[in-house]
Amino acid sequence: MSQRQFPEPFADLESLAAWALATETQRARKRRDSTIGEIRAFYDAILPRMEAIIDYLNRLPLDHMPDDAQRLLHLTLALAEVAPAVELFNQPLVTDGYDPERFIPAQGQ
Amino acid sequence: MAAVAKIDGWTPTPAKVWHQQHPELGTEPVPIEPYISQSYFELERERVFRKTWLNVGRIEELPKPGSYLVKDLPICQTSILVVRGKDGRVRAFHNVCSHRSNKLVWSQGGSCQNFSCKFHGWSYNLEGQLTFVPDEENFFDLKKKALGLTSVSCDTWEGFIFINFDSQPQETLQEYLGEIGETLKGYPFAEYSAERYSWSTELHANWKLLKDAFQEAYHVAFLHKRSIPDSFTGKSNPFAHGLDYKLYKRHRQMSVWGNMEHKPTPVEGLAYRSGALIIRNDFSADHLPPGVNPTKDQGWALDLNVIFPNFFVDISEGSYFTYNMWPLAVDRTLWEVRNYFPKAKTAGQRFSQEYSKVLFRDIIMEDSSTLEQTQKVLASGAKTHFVLQDQEILIRHDQKVHEDYVGFYKERPQ
Repeated sequence: MSQRQFPEPFADLESLAAWALATETQRARKRRDSTIGEIRAFYDAILPRMEAIIDYLNRLPLDHMPDDAQRLLHLTLALAEVAPAVELFNQPLVTDGYDPERFIPAQGQ
Repeated sequence: MAAVAKIDGWTPTPAKVWHQQHPELGTEPVPIEPYISQSYFELERERVFRKTWLNVGRIEELPKPGSYLVKDLPICQTSILVVRGKDGRVRAFHNVCSHRSNKLVWSQGGSCQNFSCKFHGWSYNLEGQLTFVPDEENFFDLKKKALGLTSVSCDTWEGFIFINFDSQPQETLQEYLGEIGETLKGYPFAEYSAERYSWSTELHANWKLLKDAFQEAYHVAFLHKRSIPDSFTGKSNPFAHGLDYKLYKRHRQMSVWGNMEHKPTPVEGLAYRSGALIIRNDFSADHLPPGVNPTKDQGWALDLNVIFPNFFVDISEGSYFTYNMWPLAVDRTLWEVRNYFPKAKTAGQRFSQEYSKVLFRDIIMEDSSTLEQTQKVLASGAKTHFVLQDQEILIRHDQKVHEDYVGFYKERPQ
């Protein structure tokens, strides 16, 4: 049994842990390397839980979160990353868009 | 502007009204040559980039004495070092050692007590003075006081650091920025610069092609039909007509309308509820300076502020973003994009900013690919001119300002 990734009230989201990535670079790469089906599955699983997640996280200090809450925050940021794919483009990347590997985020971003 | 009719927050403006206000610009198609000509590009190097004030960063990047940033500027064939001295003053230098002209600092930025050249160990203090020369007694009549780093004019406006390679700039930064600098003063740039996200890319397109793409909204309904189908366009304003256009001597502004009936997507709705977004329809603009949302319209989305030659400060209520377009060659540009937000205090605000940032990034991915496709056929000779409509007046104005500096057509025998 692997260690719990997220705070206890969100144990139902454990299967999404691969999306809890710390940087925009990692999240954008995960988006690029996933199929739209995989992205949509993540989106559909987390979206109904978002209000509860934000409520929970808003009670914690943003800069000093416990690790499990930090991972949950990263999960919400992954939703922000994939939302355009699901809601706007219906494919992982921007339709007729620029190569994301050439659009380089600042170091550590 | 007298209101003709008010529908969905949009007050329609009469067709062709903006050019009527600026008859000096004419209405003719504008030449493509400045975007593909090598000789035009060389003139830009000499007469634009070596003569004007150039934004190279923000003051938050230099928080304390010893903080420095390095910027390679191929268009000016140099690298510059901007450093906060022990006295707190920010100075800029050519990043070039006085010994045998090695590039002094190779990193992009950081903090230090002095700068030491890795070639032969010559050292400089934070004020650019030469302080140490190894094996000094073997040099001939070495005048260390005269061998400091070569300084570059440097000043700040609202926390933005500008440099000027002209040894005697014809205008101070304040004079250079003029009215647009005055009217934007007071926007909370410092507060809104707490969270900074940056990207850079080397785009295969002329730098003016990039500028043009971001100083009109005519393309929004088409190029961005997937990403922002109803944010800047709506039933009453299908072609994203601007709220206002202001042309200054060399800078310019477009105030962009935002559709108050925009239907947010599910995640966008979440982001709205959790914090500030690029587009917000429910704020009060009372606290903003006169140059922000100049018509004080409720249906205001953002302002495009184009600072000549290559700096955009685009402002909305909850964030702002900047572009710096650095020409590398006539058909290549280093493009720096930054998106700034106030400090996120809660997870909800952090999420909201992330959504806003990602959407913004994805939108400009649509612009970027288009620019490279344009560049691929630009020199074909198929077309010699761009055809501009009234709402593309900023592009026309930019071409005129360029010609004022470059004098390409003025000096060429007809």
